[in-house]
Formats: sequence, C-alpha cells, structure tokens
Amino acid sequence: MTGTTRPLRSPLLWSAFALLGACGLAAARADEPTAPIGPSQVRRLSEAQYRNTIADLFGPDIKVVGRFEPDMRGNGLLAVGSSAVSVSPSGFDQYEEIARGIAAQVTDKEHRAAQVGCEPGPADPKGLACARRFAEKFGLQLFRRPLASAEAAAWAQRAVQSGEALGNYDAGLAAVLAGMLTDPRFLFRIDMPGRDRVAIDGYSRAARLSYLLWDTTPDAELLEAARAGRLDSPEGLSAQVDRMIASARFAGGVRAFFTDFLRLDEIETLSKDALIFPAFSSSVANATREQTLRTITDLLIDHDGDYRDLFTTRRFAMTKALGPIYDIPIARDGWYMHEFPQGDPRAGLLTQASLLALHSHPGRTSPTLRGKALREVLLCETIPTPPANVNFAVVQDVNNPTLKTTRARLQAHLDDEECASCHRRTDPIGLGLEQFDGAGQFRTRENGETIDIRSQFDKVDFDGAAALGRLLHDDEAASTCLVKSVWRYANGRDAGDADTPSLEALTKHFAGDGHRFPALLRSIATDPAFYAFPATPRRSPRQVAASRITESSR
Amino acid sequence: MSGLSANKGLWAGAAAVVAGGLVLIAADAPTGGDPGVRTFVLSNIYIASSGDGGTCPVMADGGIETYFKMLPPAEQAKYADPAHPGQIEQAKRGPLEQAMNEHFGFRRVAIKGGNPGGKQVQAKLPPDFRADVTPTPEQAIEIGALNGFPKGRGRLAFSNLTVAYSACTNPEDFPALGKGFVTYDGPVSAGMNLDGKAGKEDFKGPDGTPGVDNQLWRAVGCVKPFREYGEPKIAHKIFISARAPTLIEIRDIGDPRNDPDVTVNVYAGADPVVRDGRGEALASSSFTVDPDPTLRASVKGRIENGVLTTDPVDLKLNYKEQIVDAPRVFRGARIRAVLGDDGRIEGSIFGYYTLASYWSSIEQMTQNGANLTGVSCPGVKAAIERYADGYRDPRTGKFTAISSAYNFFGVRAYIVDKAKS
Repeated sequence: MTGTTRPLRSPLLWSAFALLGACGLAAARADEPTAPIGPSQVRRLSEAQYRNTIADLFGPDIKVVGRFEPDMRGNGLLAVGSSAVSVSPSGFDQYEEIARGIAAQVTDKEHRAAQVGCEPGPADPKGLACARRFAEKFGLQLFRRPLASAEAAAWAQRAVQSGEALGNYDAGLAAVLAGMLTDPRFLFRIDMPGRDRVAIDGYSRAARLSYLLWDTTPDAELLEAARAGRLDSPEGLSAQVDRMIASARFAGGVRAFFTDFLRLDEIETLSKDALIFPAFSSSVANATREQTLRTITDLLIDHDGDYRDLFTTRRFAMTKALGPIYDIPIARDGWYMHEFPQGDPRAGLLTQASLLALHSHPGRTSPTLRGKALREVLLCETIPTPPANVNFAVVQDVNNPTLKTTRARLQAHLDDEECASCHRRTDPIGLGLEQFDGAGQFRTRENGETIDIRSQFDKVDFDGAAALGRLLHDDEAASTCLVKSVWRYANGRDAGDADTPSLEALTKHFAGDGHRFPALLRSIATDPAFYAFPATPRRSPRQVAASRITESSR
Repeated sequence: MSGLSANKGLWAGAAAVVAGGLVLIAADAPTGGDPGVRTFVLSNIYIASSGDGGTCPVMADGGIETYFKMLPPAEQAKYADPAHPGQIEQAKRGPLEQAMNEHFGFRRVAIKGGNPGGKQVQAKLPPDFRADVTPTPEQAIEIGALNGFPKGRGRLAFSNLTVAYSACTNPEDFPALGKGFVTYDGPVSAGMNLDGKAGKEDFKGPDGTPGVDNQLWRAVGCVKPFREYGEPKIAHKIFISARAPTLIEIRDIGDPRNDPDVTVNVYAGADPVVRDGRGEALASSSFTVDPDPTLRASVKGRIENGVLTTDPVDLKLNYKEQIVDAPRVFRGARIRAVLGDDGRIEGSIFGYYTLASYWSSIEQMTQNGANLTGVSCPGVKAAIERYADGYRDPRTGKFTAISSAYNFFGVRAYIVDKAKS
C-alpha cells in the first residue's frame, strides 16, 4: 500500500543540512521577541508556502492533511523567524505523515496517469527509466534545482527496489516522492553560492524571487531562466520580475506579506466570547481576514494605489458574512468592493474588523493592545512587555458601577506612574478606536455612557478612527516601517547597520514612486544586494546541541 | 445607540454620495437601514398555545398509540413498556410500526432510488417515467397501481421521493386510527375575534377577551407535539423554516411608537437564517426576497404604543422544514406585533388557515413521521374538517379554512428585493 510506505530519506543530506546552521529556535514561542536574526543560508518553508507549492505542483485536489510545525515570528515577522527555525523530532514525524499522504494521492489511480505518465513495459521491464523520469521531474520541482545525474539514478534505483520489496511498483514511486517531500532541500529554501561565492546561484535566485513575489515555488519558466543563467544579468532578472509582478500570482505574494506583516495569521486562532459578541464566529473571523487582504490587493495591485491610502480608504472588500458585523445590507453574493460614504466612521484598515478584533480581548476592547499593535506593526516601534506583577483588576472590571467606560477604567489604571510611562504611548491611540467593540462592531455607547473618541497621537489631537487614519497616512514613519518590513520579509533577517543605506534608498524610491507597493517589491527584487550569498554565522553551543537533537530523530 | 439608528445616519450619508464612485442606493438596494423602515426576519412561526389557562385532561393518541391499544392483550404485551403499563416501550416502536404497516397494508416505494425515510422498496415504474420531473397525482396513482397499491391509491410523499399509501396519504381509509384522538374543549385560547362575533364556539382569550376565533386550537390543541412546540420556552429555542424564512418590512414609519398609517410587506426569504453565538437568530443579516409573487403580500397597518396591528390580508408563508414543504396559506390574516427597541419583533398572525395547506403540512410528515411524533393523521384530518369555520366554498357549502393563531418572533434584518428594480 502506498499510503503506508515509509519515505526514502537521504541521511547524509540531513547531516549536511544540520551543518548549515538551521536550528536552535524550534522550541521558541511564536510571539517571543528574539535577538536580531542575521543572515542565514536556509529558510524553512512556511505552512502556507508548503501548501501553495503542493497545490502548484500537483493540483488543488491533492489534499495536504496534517499538523505543521508551528511557524515562529522573528521580531514581528514569520519570514524572519523562518531563518531561525529547524524541524523538531515530532515536527519531522508530522512532515512525514503529510508527505506520505501526498505521495499516496499522487500515485493513486485517479492521479497516476497525469502525475507519473509512464510504467514498466517491454522496453523498460523493471520500470527503471520510468522511475528516473519521475525522480528527475519531481526532483527539479521540489528541490527547485535539477538533480545531479547520479542522484537521479540513485532515486530511481531505490524506487524500483522499494517497489519490488513491497510488491507494488507505484509504492516504490510513492516512497521516493515521500522521501523528496521530507528532504531538507524541499522543506527548506537553501541558498547555494554562485561561481563568485559572493552572490547566490541562479536556482537560489529563482526560489528567492518566487517565494517573495508569489509565495510559492518557481514555475517552469523561472527555473528555465535560472538554468540558462538569465537571472544573473540585470536585464534577464528585470524581465522575470516584471513577468512575475504582472502575473495573477502576484496577489498571492502580496497577500502573504500582509498576512505576515499585519499578523493576520493569528486570526486563525482568534476567538471571542459568544455571549458578548454573538455575531462573531470563526467563519466571520476568517472573512475579516479575507476582507483585509482583498482590500489591500484591490488598492495596491488592482488600482496601483498609494500604500498610505490604506489608512484612509473607504473602499472595503465585503461579503454577506460580514454584513452583521458592519451592520450594513449586502445585496450581492460573493465578494465585492463596498464604498462607505464620507462621514462614516469606517475608514482605513484601522477600522476593519480584522485588526480591531485581533487586538482586543475575547470579551472587551483593549486600547492598550490596539495602540501597541499600531506602534509595533505599523510604525516598527518597540513597546516593552509589562512587568509580571501588574494588577489589571480595575481595567478588567467591565461592570464597575462608577468606571463605566474603558477610558475611565484605563485612567484609573494609569494613576500608577510605573504603568503610565508605557501606556501613554499606546492607550491614547487605542482610545480613539473605542467606537469599535471587541468584535469590530460600531457603537457609540458603553454601559450607557457616550464613548469619547477624542485623543492624541504623538501630541497631535485627533477625533476618532478616521482622523487617526489620516494622521498615519501622513506619518513618514508608517511608510518607513513598511519599507523596512518588506525588506526584512524579503531577506528573512533583521537589518543591520550595514543595511541602513539600502533601506534609506528604498524608502526614498518608495516615496518617489508614489508609495506604490509593486514598485517597492520590484526595487528589492532587482537589487543585487537581495542575492548576496549569506555568510554562515558561527553556531552557539545551544544551536549545536539543538541540531544534534534534530539529528537524533533521523 | 441602536444599530438601526446608526445605520440611518449611514444611509442618509449614502444618499448624498452619488458622485465619485459607487452609488449605494441602487434600484435594487436592500431596505432595513432606511429611515422610516424596519425590517425583520422571523426565525420561528409556531402555533399559539392556550397556556396555563387551557389544559387537556388527556392528550390525543397518535396513530401508533391507537393501534397499540387495538391489539389483543397478549400481542400488546410484546410492545409494552414494563415500567409504564399501557405505554409503548421506546425501543419497540420500530417493530410495532412494522406490525402496524403490515396490518393496515401501508406501502411506500422509492421512485428515485436510495432509501428515503428508511428501508425502501424500489418502485416498478411506468416506461415513460422521468426521474427529473415530479410526477403528477395521476402518475403517482399509476405508480401505485403498478406496485400493487389498492385501486386509485398512491400519493407522493417524503419530498416527492416516494409514492406511499398510509393513514397520512389516505386518512379516510383508516378511521380506526383516529379513535384515540381528542380535541381541546377548554374555554381559553390565544387568538383574536376574526369575525366580529362572539359565538358559543368561540374562546375567551388568556386576558378574558371574548369571541376569540381559534378553531384550529380546538382541533389540534391536545396533540402533544403541537402543544409542546407552542410553548414559548420551547419555541424560542428552535428555528422553523430557517432555510426559507419569512421577512416582514414595515415602511412609512413616522413615529416608531405611534403611527396611524404604515405599510407592512411580508416576503419569503431566499437565504437561510443563521444562528449567532447565543443560539439565536443572527441579527442584521441580509436576505434576498424569493421572486415568487405569491409569496409576498402588502397591507396597511398602524402602530399604537409600539404595537403594530394590520388590516386583514391573505398570506402565503413558506414552511420548509426537513421533508415538509407546505406553504402556510392564511386568509384574512391580521398581524399584531411588538416592535422592540433592541431590533427584535415578537407577535402573532391571526387568520383563517386554509384546510388544504394545513393538511399538506400534516400529510407530508408521512406515516413514519406521524408515528415518531405521536400524531394521528386521521384524527387531525377529521378534526380540522369538523371545526373549519371560515371561507365557505359556495359550490360545496363547506368551509375551506379554519381560524387559527400563530406566534412568531424575529430579529432585525436587511431585505434585498431585486424585483423592485
């Protein structure tokens, strides 16, 4: 049975891979701040990238079933964390289960003809030639570079031998495919040096480009450009970048960045108190995320708009499931773009239910969480974590007969000067968003009292969410933060002092281009610095130990 | 501030924004947010119970209970509950139903394959039978004849997936199964005086109002499932016809507490009611109006102290629940409802329920459904025909409808009526 076939592994590859230094932080908490993450030669595929890749290579009907090793946010970005995570023993077991499931489907009766396309016959009695074609095809697609001839022959030989041992030729192919799917060259994007050892080689460039712009594996044309060396020239590189940005798949790349940047992946596990917010459900939560992503791609791609307008736009993607949250009639099926009128409190991403609900508590709002998220995510500032012994009793008592509004309860909390120092940076921002409850629904009263939305942002007075959005729109720090975040996302690492000139130049060009997001990605993707071969960092004893733990699972 | 008032502002603003992009108020724009309009989706319309003031000394037997009592003692003992003599043991209702089917010659055959409603015999079908076309009543009889049904017998049942012969398709053939049926003879009933008279057949309302016309309650008020489903505590927990709910739109509201002239539109919704996190109907959802013109009605009404009352109007309300698809047709119906400040509506429909549409809802339960719930189809049929009191057929001289009272409740909703474009 192909479904129970053990994958064929390359132990030597896993050993070699461990020496590359991808290890050490696998057990870190997803939201744990880490020290700056520097250059790395390897980056683990995210769950989304894994799924996108499988769908692209084998078709959307191949089910990816299993639980993935959790991705880790590295100083705010999963993409940065991907350079610092490895695969734990239990995580590897999960990958193996997933791989076996995929391999079984690809080689089953329904898919075999399209995916395998050959079988043993008079001219190929053992099926060795067929197995080799199979290995070469999927080796190229999964490892994002061609197999060496000897390796292709070895995979083919093992496929045939396994098939004979199992009494089923296709089971041997499935074992090979499962082996490839658990190979570090698939699970990790590994940068290989070019001839000059200063820049990465063409296939590594193709992978970088593809996962940056499409969040999936390179297509045949990109791999061919890599093979032909066209990605090594500025002209050839530009041609491919332009092709990829013009592709419909570009939206996938943009969505992936903003999912990471805005932490929209966390909506997956967002839950609300059903008695307090009965209109909010997991399906609604997912719709809020989709709304934000569609709003973003509508403005940035479909209309080639100014990034800053995301903070003021009244054009929201909308669908029936969100009607009750926004309390608006929905006359159409499916998604469409809804325009809120001038004067409506809904304006900009800050007033979308995704962000409002994400940065709230399960049963109430949190001006602190909202303000903290705005400063950390949109302005790239750092807000210290509160001390462990803070007394939140006053803030949490939503039934306090005298402190009826969140503003009043927070004010009482701020009477503690030690707390006030940080809260002064976060809470005023969040108080301006208080007309939206913990599920993102509009309200004007809290416990019978009118909600006061007058507040201050960096010493500038504002009145409500729309006004706050306008302030962010005009704040250079927001644009600078975006550039920095995209750069970190693309490079999978934190910026060092040496990167400052590049970032400054990018920021300048971004402003000069009218804050056009595709242009920003193009600038990064065509910058030779994006393809620099990363220096291998020295490994700490902890990392070495972790790599051994990882090795012991092999 | 209520969501409604918030939206009034929104829509007022929208009306002004015509240039510069999308026009919000289009010809087919939904209602619900407009000033002067309140719109609701009803999550349950249920028979109004007489409450504590009108109990039944004994409850009506269902068909299977009646059959059980017909059995000789030795045979009855096979199905009896040892702990409750005289009652059927729950686990033995299946075998008893099988024995009942065999005794009375009940039949059902599947005409489109599968086993709709349980183990089915596949029907012998006429050569010109088309699975994609619903057979006519005449074709159903033809299928019955091919499968050994008594002459002239055979009715479509179970969402038109079977042809059946039973006490629910042909109650007139099985009067014995209506022997255990009892009607409600108490003095109190929900309802209103529909005919303007106070006759001896009329009830008193729970508040003592005389002349209440609700002969449907007299007919079926002692049928256990109907009485239970009429209890507000139970009714509030369940949705009925959630996949095809009824929508109510009140227009031209000047003063929401007192307005002598409002227009009430009743529609069928084409979208399902969704439960919210509390298990109640999700408020502020949007519902498309079913384009079937027979499923819409318009009537004048008035609001007094927050209570809406309409003039009489004929209504056809969708009633789609599990295998039942039997629109409720009310003649001369009045709606009375309290409009809550929280966006809810709770009220009643008082009117003459046509016998044909009421019976359709009973018949479609099928014999199996009637046995499961303890309903006697022959008992119900005989009772509603006996107590029918409205809309006499001039040709036959018989009444075609029966006075009734149904309660409902609902939440604020948006209505999308594309037919108005």
